[in-house]
Amino acid sequence: MDLVTVKVGKMQIDFHYYATYAAAIIAGYSHEESMEICYSAQFVDVCSRTLLSKLKAPGNAATTQLQLELADARTDIIGLQDITRIWSSFHFLPYDLHAKRDKHCRRTYLDKYRLICNSNGPLVADTVNLAKNNSLQAVGIAMHVLADTWAHKYFAGTPSLVINNVNYYFYEWVVDGDNSLRRKVVTRHNPTAADDIVRGIYTASMSSNDENSIMNLGHGRAGHLPDYSFIRYEYMPAWGDYNNIIKDNPSDYWHAFCQMVYALRYLRGEYDTFELDTYDFDVVSRWEDEIKAILIKRQLDSSEDWKQFGEALSGSSISDFDENTWQKQYMNAAKADKDATFLGKFFKAAIVQKSMVSNRIFESGNSLAGVSVNFKNNGLSFVRNRIGRAR
Amino acid sequence: MTLFQRIRSVIIGLVMLIFAFLIVIDPKEGYQTVAALLSLSLIFSGFKTLWYYFTLARHMIGGLAVLIRAVIMLDLGFFTISLQHLPRVYLLLYLLLIYAFTGVVDILNGLEARRMEAPNWKFKTFSGIIIVSLALVTLFFVRSLTVLVVVYGIGLIYSALVRIISAFR
Repeated sequence: MDLVTVKVGKMQIDFHYYATYAAAIIAGYSHEESMEICYSAQFVDVCSRTLLSKLKAPGNAATTQLQLELADARTDIIGLQDITRIWSSFHFLPYDLHAKRDKHCRRTYLDKYRLICNSNGPLVADTVNLAKNNSLQAVGIAMHVLADTWAHKYFAGTPSLVINNVNYYFYEWVVDGDNSLRRKVVTRHNPTAADDIVRGIYTASMSSNDENSIMNLGHGRAGHLPDYSFIRYEYMPAWGDYNNIIKDNPSDYWHAFCQMVYALRYLRGEYDTFELDTYDFDVVSRWEDEIKAILIKRQLDSSEDWKQFGEALSGSSISDFDENTWQKQYMNAAKADKDATFLGKFFKAAIVQKSMVSNRIFESGNSLAGVSVNFKNNGLSFVRNRIGRAR
Repeated sequence: MTLFQRIRSVIIGLVMLIFAFLIVIDPKEGYQTVAALLSLSLIFSGFKTLWYYFTLARHMIGGLAVLIRAVIMLDLGFFTISLQHLPRVYLLLYLLLIYAFTGVVDILNGLEARRMEAPNWKFKTFSGIIIVSLALVTLFFVRSLTVLVVVYGIGLIYSALVRIISAFR
């Protein structure tokens, strides 16, 4: 297992950084504000315990786990709860924490089933509302979580073979002129090999019969396919009672973008409430052709196209994402001033988001994310200390 | 491999080493201990897999394979117990067969790893070939029970060392 790829799944920088910037500009934020939002949205994929340890920041602010961290992660009960808190809170937001199956279904299975991610679940509204009247860092985190509910739908942010496994029934729909061809997806496990979108060969995590193996976390078994905006793929999710699903990423990413614009406008105060399944199609329609052209273009990374689009929108230059940008500011700040720095605000927003999701999972009677306290009742410092001690 | 899996691998490897030495030191009785341990571990794994099937895997696509695996493990476990009353040579041949089977599985895993371009395919294939070769060589000594047991013990030592080395890789 030391030599295999651990592919858990993260929507890429093209959407989380550049597309989020464009959505923020369209929603009416200034260039500077949009940069802070998209930086925070992308930083969710960077903020690991390894980085936090380097910055001497609270470990429970981790929003992701590096491949090496995952490879060494324990899959005992405490380790699984830690993994679930991170991946369910930021990358695989559960859709329905009270979902039901047949009456003979045991609680052990239901707990995992209920963590399956999908768009427009109540937790999306909770996430967006959490960012209301909060820092731009909180807004960025909310946009990351919201966008991932579209990309990562049908997978759960907890290691589980019975939920996340993908079997041989796995096809890609490739547009060839006026026709659509169904092509079998070939997976490989070479960590150094880039996905070959021409021949349809993709890197995915190895098959593991161990229910709690890291290989079975998120969409690892489906490789990076959920992260490509251009792709349409067909497969049978392990939990789906032999029903196949056609995942139409161009359509999902379009919805994600329009929902982001709607959410951002709500956060700016243009709407009184945030409604689920609501999109700012009208506002975005002016750029629909340009956006859809980027979404369907077959390429591993569409950052350049989104960057050009964003710069044309704002008339300003978008600097490339650099995870070091705000680190010195945080490290050099006095202890009392750290929370007021860019990263300090990010860490606070991340802890609050993780606490909210973990608490919702816990209150639904599901112990997969561990015991949780409601930060609203107990205060952030209590949550921080409590989670901090647990780690 | 997680830390817990590494520790588990090392412990299993050490237990295998102890039993291998037991066999080599006392070929007449040692193999019965190995057979008993094998049957117990198969029965335990069988019940564990059965529990996994009924609580989780029965809802999964392809979950029936888990049930079949559980039944086969249980069956093999009980079968191994029943062999205790047969002449030693049959039990030893059975143990060898099981041992050769693990080698074949290693080779198949290695070939699959090669097809998937995973870099560890050489190690898996090589250790599988060694195990199968040892099992085949042992067949030539089927008339001498002592030699049979000692060669089997050496094979066990090899597997134990491979397991321990893998845990530290």
